[in-house]
Amino acid sequence: MFEPAVGSAVEAAIPLLLTGWIEYILENPDQFAVMLREHLQMVVIGVTAAIAVAVPAGIAATRHPTVGSAVMNMGAIAQTVPPLGVIALTFAFLGVGPRPAILALFLYGLLPILKNTVAGIQNVESAQVEAGRGMGMTSLQRLWRIELPLALPVIIAGIRTTIVLSVGIAYLGAFIGAGGLGQWIILGQQRYANEILLAGAIPGAILVILLDQAFGWLGARIGPTESSADDRTQTTVA
Amino acid sequence: MSHDTATETASNSIAFENVTKVYDDGTEAVTDVSFSVSSGETATLVGPSGCGKTTTMKMVNALVEPTTGTVSVDETPVSEYDPIELRRKVGYVIQDIGLFKHMTIEENVGIVPDIVGWSDDRIENRVTELLELVRLDDDVRTKYPQELSGGQQQRVGVARALAAEPEVMLMDEPFGALDPITREQLQNEFLDIQAGLDVTIVFVTHDIDEALKMGDKVAVLQDGELIQYDPPAELLRNPNNAFVESFLGEDRQLAQLQTVAVREVMGPANEAPTNDGGTPLSPDDTLRLAVQNWLRSETDVVPVVEDGTVVGSLSEVHIRSIFDGRSRAIEENHV
Repeated sequence: MFEPAVGSAVEAAIPLLLTGWIEYILENPDQFAVMLREHLQMVVIGVTAAIAVAVPAGIAATRHPTVGSAVMNMGAIAQTVPPLGVIALTFAFLGVGPRPAILALFLYGLLPILKNTVAGIQNVESAQVEAGRGMGMTSLQRLWRIELPLALPVIIAGIRTTIVLSVGIAYLGAFIGAGGLGQWIILGQQRYANEILLAGAIPGAILVILLDQAFGWLGARIGPTESSADDRTQTTVA
Repeated sequence: MSHDTATETASNSIAFENVTKVYDDGTEAVTDVSFSVSSGETATLVGPSGCGKTTTMKMVNALVEPTTGTVSVDETPVSEYDPIELRRKVGYVIQDIGLFKHMTIEENVGIVPDIVGWSDDRIENRVTELLELVRLDDDVRTKYPQELSGGQQQRVGVARALAAEPEVMLMDEPFGALDPITREQLQNEFLDIQAGLDVTIVFVTHDIDEALKMGDKVAVLQDGELIQYDPPAELLRNPNNAFVESFLGEDRQLAQLQTVAVREVMGPANEAPTNDGGTPLSPDDTLRLAVQNWLRSETDVVPVVEDGTVVGSLSEVHIRSIFDGRSRAIEENHV
């Protein structure tokens, strides 16, 4: 009794999921392009600002233990404030538009990058750093030539996490006039029009996947250790 | 040490004077150690783990600061050098190889020249030269350390330490991570390489056989104290105390055979049998190898052959001569 019903529900849902939203995008290409650009702009500015602050702060945290715990606490606090709260609290000062949203993205993006920068540097084998010291590298040279390159895959993993979070948070920008894909979510809800809602939501999901893949590829290229570990087994076998 | 003061051109490249190191937690790692290494010599520091050998070595490039006493490099106290400058001048082969994993072989070898500011061309030429010296194919230069075998990696480690043409080189258990066959091969090759260089070496190992083989002089340490500092043959003949004797092992006579070449003890060529049937010896073989061949031989006297001609003979009397000090050759070489 149940099976045909479930089957028909799925059958009914599939065309809706697959076609309705695509058609809506194709009918409104200009608006879609503008929203996508606004969305990406918020993400790029917010994440870039988060990287610019969190990476140096993370490095500082590994140099001085007292600075370290202070910095980590601040990052944790920034993470616990809900993004919607940040937007609601700050748009009074920052005005309507993308600025409150970018601030929320920035604050929310700090912790993953901060945590991974600290973990990445702390996990560099001490023997590698000690080798640099024994070779006559200054502490700055050790940082640039040994610690950061070896920590980079981990730092990039943190940036990936931040990007994924940010694409989602940027949807909130629509509430304060910052534009972005969130506009179609609001519109879709107001009109009870699922295809509009999905036309806003699915491109965001695709965007997350693409950005995540791109950074994953970048991380693998930068860190030679993983790929060459495979080569090594080949060499030993040969 | 055995030379007259007239031949004192070989200055002390490294000198320890009453050096003591006490760590912050109160452990005394090194106690009142004094010794010196002449320019161009290799000193091996050997002892059980925790004897202070690595700590002692690390005082040469200011990685460890002595609590009291003076360590000098080139007649200048280490404390008067800028530590960064000093370390760039002192080659360092690190325990467990310690190559930088994220750098290619070329970048690893060229790292010190790079940080002291050599031009790219000069670094490239130097890398080519060094890879050849340590007998690695030039196509390894673009590879990463993980792609190389342990033996190859250690060759890179040696090349890296030699890159900026150091006068002093520190080697911290350089061959410790290798299998016995590769280790032996690298030891031999390193002795060859070293013979062509004018470099003073401090070589840390826990393996007494390695210490005897690689060192012009061997420093035996125990609980932070220098127990004996002598050339290998002297150490084997006259161990200072029971600790050194036991550390040298039950088979120290066998080890002693390793330190003597056939040439030093062989008898006249006319005593050699005309038809032996066994493998002939070379005058440069160690006595250890000679004994093995002698045991396998069907005759009591084995011929020593160089370039196809019999140049000497070896019998039990010759072999035994190293233990009772009757051999004139030994006297000349080690007094």
